[in-house]
Amino acid sequence: MKNEVVTLAQGAGGKQTSQLIHEVFAKHFSNPEFTADDAAVLSLGDGKIAMSTDGFIVSPFEFKGGNIGKLSICGTVNDLACMGAKPEYLTCAFVIEEGFPIAKLEEIVTSMEETAKKVGVRIVAGDTKVAGKGQVDKIFITTTGVGRLTPGVNTSGALARPGDCVIVTGDIGRHGCTILLERENLGIEADVTSDCAPLWDAVEAVLSATHDVHVIRDATRGGVGTVLYEIAEESNVGITLDAKNIPVEGAVEGVCGMLGLDPLYLANEGTMVIVAPESEKDKILEALRKIDHTKKAAVIGTVSSDMPKKVVVTTEIGAKSMIPEPGGELLPRIC
Amino acid sequence: MKHYTIEEAKKIITGYDGPHIRIMEVCGTHTHDIFKLGIRSILPKNIELISGPGCPVCVTPVGYIDEALMLALEKKAILCTFGDLIRVPGTKMSLADARRDDADIRMVYSPMDALLLAQQNPDKEVVFLAVGFETTTPITCLSIKHAEKLGVKNYSILTANKTMPNAYMALKDSADAFLYPGHVNAITGEAICREMLEKEGVSGVIAGFTAEELMDAIAVIIVGLQSGKPFFENCYKRVVREDGNVKAMAAIDEVMEAVDTEWRGLGIIPMSGLKLRDRFAAYDARKKFELPDLKGKPNPACRCGEVLQGKCKPSDCKVFGTGCTPEHPVGACMVSDEGACSAYYQYGGAF
Repeated sequence: MKNEVVTLAQGAGGKQTSQLIHEVFAKHFSNPEFTADDAAVLSLGDGKIAMSTDGFIVSPFEFKGGNIGKLSICGTVNDLACMGAKPEYLTCAFVIEEGFPIAKLEEIVTSMEETAKKVGVRIVAGDTKVAGKGQVDKIFITTTGVGRLTPGVNTSGALARPGDCVIVTGDIGRHGCTILLERENLGIEADVTSDCAPLWDAVEAVLSATHDVHVIRDATRGGVGTVLYEIAEESNVGITLDAKNIPVEGAVEGVCGMLGLDPLYLANEGTMVIVAPESEKDKILEALRKIDHTKKAAVIGTVSSDMPKKVVVTTEIGAKSMIPEPGGELLPRIC
Repeated sequence: MKHYTIEEAKKIITGYDGPHIRIMEVCGTHTHDIFKLGIRSILPKNIELISGPGCPVCVTPVGYIDEALMLALEKKAILCTFGDLIRVPGTKMSLADARRDDADIRMVYSPMDALLLAQQNPDKEVVFLAVGFETTTPITCLSIKHAEKLGVKNYSILTANKTMPNAYMALKDSADAFLYPGHVNAITGEAICREMLEKEGVSGVIAGFTAEELMDAIAVIIVGLQSGKPFFENCYKRVVREDGNVKAMAAIDEVMEAVDTEWRGLGIIPMSGLKLRDRFAAYDARKKFELPDLKGKPNPACRCGEVLQGKCKPSDCKVFGTGCTPEHPVGACMVSDEGACSAYYQYGGAF
C-alpha cells in the first residue's frame, strides 16, 4: 500500500474500507478496548468524568514540531487535563481528501499512536470518511476524549481571585509563529518549532504538589492574551502582567516584530495558563520545572480587584499599559 | 553626545518642569510602541507627544481607495495589498466589503509576491497597491524592474508612495521637535534631518524602536530643547548610517520621480509623493486602465485629519470608541495597528 493514495472506494464502507482500517488504523491503535464493533464498551470506575471534543483542520498538516495527528491528540488530551482530568479514552474521526497519500496517512497515524502512548490514553473507536477532491483540504481529524477527574480538584475560568498569581508553563507563541512561517509566501526564515505537546504529565505533577489551583487553561487559538481576558471576564477580576517576565523565544519576538504581531495573541499547543493562590506558587513552579516541556514555567502576573475584566501590563519602562483586547484578526488556519 | 539608560531617561522626562513642549513622532511604529510601552502615562503635563502622519495606511486618501475599488470591481483586476489597507473605508465601501462582493483581493507581504501572482495568472491583470514611505518603496521599484526584465505585461501598480522631507516642511510649526522615523532614515540617511536643522532651524532626533532607544531619544530631545539652540542627533546609530542605503535610494530614483500628492487630513503637499517615470508608464495602473480623477469623500464625522496634524486627540473625536472601533473603523487611523486612534483605543483606554 506504500505508494498508494486514499480512494473514494476506501470510504464506501465495503471491503476496501476495512482493508484501510486494518492496515493503517488498527495496526497503530490496537489495544484491548479498540473495537471493530459499532461502539467501544468501557469501564470508567466511580467518580466524575470529563469529556471533550475538538476538530483539527490545520494547514499545512505537517509543521516543525509535529503534524495534524500529534496535534489532534494533544488538543483533546490538553482540554481534559486542564479540567484536572486524567485522559483515559479517545475516539477519532478522519475526513480524508481523495488522493491523499497512504504513506502520509500512516505517518500521521503513527504520531497519534506515539503521542497517545506517551499520555497513556487509549484510542478505542474511530471513523473514516473519504471526501471527493477539493471537498476538504487534504485531511481533517476530530477527536473526542473522556477522562477521570482528580478528586478534590475544582478548576474553572471563573475561580480566579484577587491575590492569585498567574503562571505560564512555557515560552509563548511558538505554535502560531511556526504555522505562520510555514505558509509559502512569507519569505521569512527563522528557527521556530511548535510547542505542540501533551500536557497531562505537567498537570498531574502540579496536582500532586497541590490541589489548591483555581484555573488551568491551555492557551491555544487566540493565545495567552485571549485566555487572560476570558479569565478576567469570567472571574470578574483584573490581571496585571509584568512585561519583563513573559517568556518569549528570541526568534518568535523577531518574527512578531517584522509582522507587527504580539506573541500574547499567537497560538500555543503545549502551553497553559495556571492561576493559583500566591502561597502555592513555589510548589507549582517546582513541579512544572521538573518536566521537560514546562521547564520554562514562569510567573507573569497577579490577579487583583482593580480594573475588573481588564488585563494591563507593567512595561519595560515601569509604566502601565493596556493589553489590547482580543479582536477578530485575519490569521490563517492554525489548529 | 550623551546617551541615557531607561532609568536616567525616566528621571529627565518625569522631572521636566520647563515650558510646554510638543514632540511629534512621524512613524507609525513609534506611535504603536510609545502606546504599548505606556510612555504617555509617565509624561508630565508640560510634555505633549503628537502622533504625526507616519502610518502609510492612515495618510492614504479616500480617493485612492475609490480608485482601487474601481480596478477591482469594474476592471476586474486582481488587487494585491498589504493587509491593513483592506479595511480602510472608501467613499462607499472598503476593499474588505468589495471582497465580500466577489472582488479578487489578495493580501501579500511583498510586491514581489504580486509579480509572481501575475506570472501565474497570465490571463488576468494584477495590480499592486503601492502605499508606503521610503522603507517599502525600493522593493516596489524592484518589482517593476523585474517585471520589465521578465516581460510580464499583466502587472501594474497604483502608486500612493510618499516621501518624508516635504511633509516635515508642512508640519514644522506643529511641534517643537521631531522624533524622526528610524526605519525611513535607515534608507534616506541623515541628510534630510540635517537640512531641516540648517535651513529651517527645526530640531529632532532619529529614534530607534526598543524601550531603551525610545526613552533615550525623548530624553535627548528634552535636554536639547532646554539648551535653547536648535539641534539634531542620531540616536539610532546602530542602524542608521549618515548616507543611508544608497542602493535603495538609487532604485527609487531610477523608477520613480517626485509628484504633488494628497495626504489624508493634510491636503496636497507639493512634491511629497512618487509616481512612475514615463519610461515605466506601462506599469502605471492609472494610465493602463485610464482611471478618471476620483475625489473621495471622507465620512464627515471622522477627525482623522486633525488627529494626523496633532490638532486633536483621538478621544476628542465624537465617533471614537463608539461609532469608530478597530472592528468597524470609520477613519483610517482606527484601521492600522500603527494608527493613532487604534493605538489609543487598544492601549490607552483605561489610563
